Amino acid sequence: MPKPVCVSPGLTVTPLRKTAGTFMLTASATLLSTMAMAIQRFPKPEFESAYTQPQTQIPLPRGEFLAYLDVFVLFASLCLITWLVLKKRSRFWVFFMSLFSLAYFGFYREGCICSIGAIQNVSLALFDHSFVIPLSVIAFFLLPLVFTLFYGRTFCAGVCPFGAFQDLFAFKPQALGSRLNTVLGIIPYLYLGLAVLFAATGTDFIICRYDPFVGIFRFNASFGMFLFAGILLLSGVFIARPYCRFLCPYGVLLNWTSRFSRKHLSITPKECIQCRLCEHSCPYDAIDVPVTTKSPETRPAMVKKMMMLTILVPFLVLIFGYTGSRLQETFAGVDSRVKLAKEVLALSKMQDAGNKMQDDSYEIKAFKASGKTESQVYSEASAVLKKFYVGGWLFGGFIGLAIALMTGGRMLPVYRTDYVTNKGRCFSCARCTDYCPVKS
Amino acid sequence: MKTGKPQFNTIRLLENISIGSAVFAVVLCVLIIVNYIQVKRADPLNTPAMSALVEKLQNDPGNEQIRQEVRTLDLLARKAFFTAQWQVRTGGYLLFISILLLVSCVKAIELMQVKLPDAPYGKPALFWENRILKRRWLVYSGAGLFVLTLLLAWLTHNDMGKDLETAGNREPQSVNRDAGSGIRDQGPGNQKPAAGNSDSVKASPDSSSNILHPASDYPSWQEVKLNFPSFRGPGGIGITERTNIPTSWDGKSGKNIKWKTAIPLPGNNSPVIWNDRIYLSGASESKREVYCIDALSGKILWTSTVDKIQGSPSQVPGVSKETGFAAPSLTTEGIRVYAIFANGDLIALDMDGKKVWAKNLGMPANHYGHSSSLIMYRNILIIQYDQRSGPAVMGLSGKTGEQVWKTSRNVKISWASPALVNTGKRMELLLSAEPCVACYDPLTGKELWKLDCISGEVGPSLAYAKGIVFSVNEYSNLSAISTGETPKVLWENNEYLSDVPSPVATDKYLFLLTSYGTAVCYDAAAGTKYWEHDFGNPVYSSPMLAEGRVYIMDKKGVMYIIKAGKEFSMLGQCPLGEGSFCTPAFTNGHIFLRGDKNLYCIGK
Repeated sequence: MPKPVCVSPGLTVTPLRKTAGTFMLTASATLLSTMAMAIQRFPKPEFESAYTQPQTQIPLPRGEFLAYLDVFVLFASLCLITWLVLKKRSRFWVFFMSLFSLAYFGFYREGCICSIGAIQNVSLALFDHSFVIPLSVIAFFLLPLVFTLFYGRTFCAGVCPFGAFQDLFAFKPQALGSRLNTVLGIIPYLYLGLAVLFAATGTDFIICRYDPFVGIFRFNASFGMFLFAGILLLSGVFIARPYCRFLCPYGVLLNWTSRFSRKHLSITPKECIQCRLCEHSCPYDAIDVPVTTKSPETRPAMVKKMMMLTILVPFLVLIFGYTGSRLQETFAGVDSRVKLAKEVLALSKMQDAGNKMQDDSYEIKAFKASGKTESQVYSEASAVLKKFYVGGWLFGGFIGLAIALMTGGRMLPVYRTDYVTNKGRCFSCARCTDYCPVKS
Repeated sequence: MKTGKPQFNTIRLLENISIGSAVFAVVLCVLIIVNYIQVKRADPLNTPAMSALVEKLQNDPGNEQIRQEVRTLDLLARKAFFTAQWQVRTGGYLLFISILLLVSCVKAIELMQVKLPDAPYGKPALFWENRILKRRWLVYSGAGLFVLTLLLAWLTHNDMGKDLETAGNREPQSVNRDAGSGIRDQGPGNQKPAAGNSDSVKASPDSSSNILHPASDYPSWQEVKLNFPSFRGPGGIGITERTNIPTSWDGKSGKNIKWKTAIPLPGNNSPVIWNDRIYLSGASESKREVYCIDALSGKILWTSTVDKIQGSPSQVPGVSKETGFAAPSLTTEGIRVYAIFANGDLIALDMDGKKVWAKNLGMPANHYGHSSSLIMYRNILIIQYDQRSGPAVMGLSGKTGEQVWKTSRNVKISWASPALVNTGKRMELLLSAEPCVACYDPLTGKELWKLDCISGEVGPSLAYAKGIVFSVNEYSNLSAISTGETPKVLWENNEYLSDVPSPVATDKYLFLLTSYGTAVCYDAAAGTKYWEHDFGNPVYSSPMLAEGRVYIMDKKGVMYIIKAGKEFSMLGQCPLGEGSFCTPAFTNGHIFLRGDKNLYCIGK
C-alpha cells in the first residue's frame, strides 16, 4: 500500500487525491463521448428536395413534482455542503460537491430557476400582487439565506452553479488589493438596486437577461453573452470568481446575512498559532489579518468623524435619491410600454408635421392591431414613468445609504488577535483550512 | 513555490494536454468570432450577383436559363449561409470540449500536485493606513458615481413625462389619418370641425344641436331623451317622447315609405339614432360591420369593419338562427358609437366611423348567442354580460374602454338587455336574469337591491313606469315590483308570459306581448287584466309606446298600432313588406324599421 506523501498535516497527496484526479479525466472523457453522440436539435434545411417546414416545438412546462425535487436537491445540497465545510473542513469534497451542483443546477437544470434570479420574482411579487410566485422560487430565494444566517455562505461554496463554474477557472488567483476590492464592492449594490427596480416596475428581469453563464449551460449563448462569459472566465483565471465578488446581487444579501451567522467557517479549528501560513491562501481576499495596534487616528477625531457621517447619512440618501429620481427617464426608456409611447408620440408628431410616413415598425403595427388608443399608451407610459420616479428615489437612496454604511463600517474600532475569515465576504470554500497546520 | 512529490510522467502529460487544449480553444475562439461576424454580415439573398440576375430575369421573365441560374446561385448562397451557421455551432461545441479538457487536466494536476503554502514573508499589511485609504477611495467613488449619474440624468432628460402628459391630454386636432389604426383618441373635441377633414362638418349638419353637458364629455339625460340612443329608446324601457309619429304605411306600395336601404350584413339588432344618423350593425360568421345611415336620405354614410381586435377568438360562436351574430343593439352618447357582437368583440367608433378603441370581452358562453344590448349612462358604457361562466355587469369608460367597474352576478345566462331609469331620487340600472331582478348604481356598479322573482332562460327586458318595474319570462312569472329602498312584489300573474318581446308600461297600464302574438293589457298598479287580443302571428319585436299608442310588429313585418288604453282599440295595421325581428326606432315624424334585409324610413 503506497504511503501518502506528507507535506503538512493538511496538504497530502493521498491515493484518494490521485484517484480523484483520474476521476476528473474519466468524467470529462465520458462527457465528451456523450456530446459526440448528441444530435442536432433541428435538422439543417434541405433545399435540393421538397423542403418541409419542421414542426414547431413547444417545450412542455416542467412538472410540479420536478420543481419540488429541485427544492429537495437544493436543501440536501445545502445540508451536505454545510457539513462538508463546517464538520469535515474539506476543500477536496467541497470541490466535488461544487462539480455536482454545476452539473445539476447548471447544465441539467440550465441555471433556472436560480437563487440569484429569484430576487426579481420576489421583488415583482411584492410590488405586483397579480404576479403569482411559485413556492419553489420562494424556496430557492430563502433557503440559501436561511443557511447563510446560521452557517455562513456555504451556498456559495459548493451549491451555486455560477460560483462552481468560475471556481474551475481560478488557476492563478492574485490578490487584488483591499482598496480595489472595497471600491468594486459597490457594483453589486448597484446591480441589486437596478434588478429590484426593473423587476418591481414590471419592466424587465435584468439579472436573467444579462446572465453570462446561462447561455453556456444551455449551449445557446448569444454572441454578446458568450463574449461576456468569456471575459469573466478569462479574468477569473487571475481574479477568482469575478462575478460572485463584483457583480452578484444575491451576494449582497448573503453578505449581510452571513455577518450574523452563528457558526461560520473558521480557518483554524482550535487556537490560532499565528503561523501566517493561511495569510495568502484565500483567492477572494476574504481573510482578515490580526489587528492589535491602535488606530493612528485619535478617539476624539474618530468620534467627530462618526458623528459627521451620521449627520451626513440622511443627506447622502437624499442627494443620491434625487439623482436616482432624475434618472427616471433613462431607466424608463428600457420599458417596452415607454418605448412604444415614445414611438407613437414620434409618429403622431410626424403626422402633425405632415411628414411622409415611414413603414410602421413591428411595435406600431402591433399597437394598431391591439385596438388601444394613443391616450391609453401615453397613460400607461406615464404610470411607468411615475413608478420609476418613486423607484429612482428608493434606488438612489439605497446606494447612498450603502456607500455611507460602507464608509462608516471602516470607522469602527477593530481589535483581533487571530487570522479570521471575513464573515461577509468569505465564500466558505474551505481552501484556507488546508493551509492551517492545526487540526481538530 | 515549492511542490509536493512530483509525479512526472502523468503530470507532464496532463500539462501537455492542457497546453494543447488551451491553444486549440484560443484558435477556435478566434475562428468562431470571425465566422460569426461573417454570418452576421452575410445577406445571401441580396448579393450583387443575385440582384443582377434577378434584374435580368425581370426584364426577360420567360428566360428559363436565367431562372435556373438564379436557382443555382440561391442554393449556393443558402448552403454557404447555413454551413457557416453550422460551423459556429459546431465550433461552440468543440470549444466547450477543449475547455472542459483544459479544466479537467489543470484540476487533476492541482489534485495530484499539491501546492505548499507560502512561507510567511514580510510584515503584515498596514491595517490602519489601508483602512483610511479605503475610506477615501469609497468617498471618491461615491462622489464620482454621484457626478456621473447626475451628468447622465442631465444628458438624458428630455421632459418625456411632460410630453406624454401633454399628448395624452391634448384635444385631437385631426381625426385618425391612419385608417383602422386607432391611433387617434376621439374625445368630445371631435365635434369641432376637423382640420383637413371637411367631411365631418358636412356629415353633421345638425351638430349645433348636439350640445354636450357643460364641462363634461357626456350629454345630459335630457339630451339623451331627445334622441333614440339605445335598444327600446332612452333608458331601454320602450317609451319615446317623439311626436308626429306615422300611423299608416305600406311597404309594398311605398305609401309613406321615405326611403329603403339594403343592409349589407344580416343582424337582429334594432336601429339607434343620434341627431340625424342611424346606427346599426351586421355580421356573418366571419365578418362584422357597423353602419351609419343618413336619416334624411337613407344613404350609408360609412361602414366600419370590425376586425383586428386583440384577443378576438378565431372560432365561430355558436348561435341560433333567431339570434344571429349581431343581435345586441348599439348605443351612443353622441360622441362615440359602441357595438358588441356574438364573439365578444366590443368596439367604440367615433361619429365618423373611425375606431377609437376595441377589445374582446371573451367568447360568451351562451348557447343561443349573446343578445344583450348596450346602454350608456353619462360616459360609462354598461354591458350586461350574463354568461355561463362569470356572469357580470360592467361599466367601461366610453373614452378609453378601460373598466370603470365590474360587478359579478350570481345568475344564469340572460338574453335580456339592461334598463336605466330615473326614479326621481336616483338613476337605477335594472337587470333581469334567473333568479332575480337586480338594481345597480350605474356610476359605481354597486348592487342596490335584488329580488328573486324570475326563472328560466330570460329573454324579455324590463318595463318601468311610475316606480314599478315589470319583469316577465316564459314558464315563470309576470311580476310587478315597486322599486326604491325596500323593493317588493306588488302583484304577480302567470296567465300570459313572454319569452322574447319585452313589455312596456305607462303610469296606468302594462302592455305585455307573448311571442305567439297575443297582446294583454293590465292595470299597472293592481295587476287587473283589462283586455287581451290575439294578432295571430308570432312576435319577436318589442312593443314601443309613442304618443299614447303602442306599436307592435309581428315577425312578418306587420305593424299593429293600438291605443294605449283600458280598452282594446286597433288604430292601424301597416305591412312592411318583409319580415322583421327588430324593434322600431323613432324621431319626430319618423319611424325607422329594420326588416330582414332593409332599413325603412317611414314618414308622413
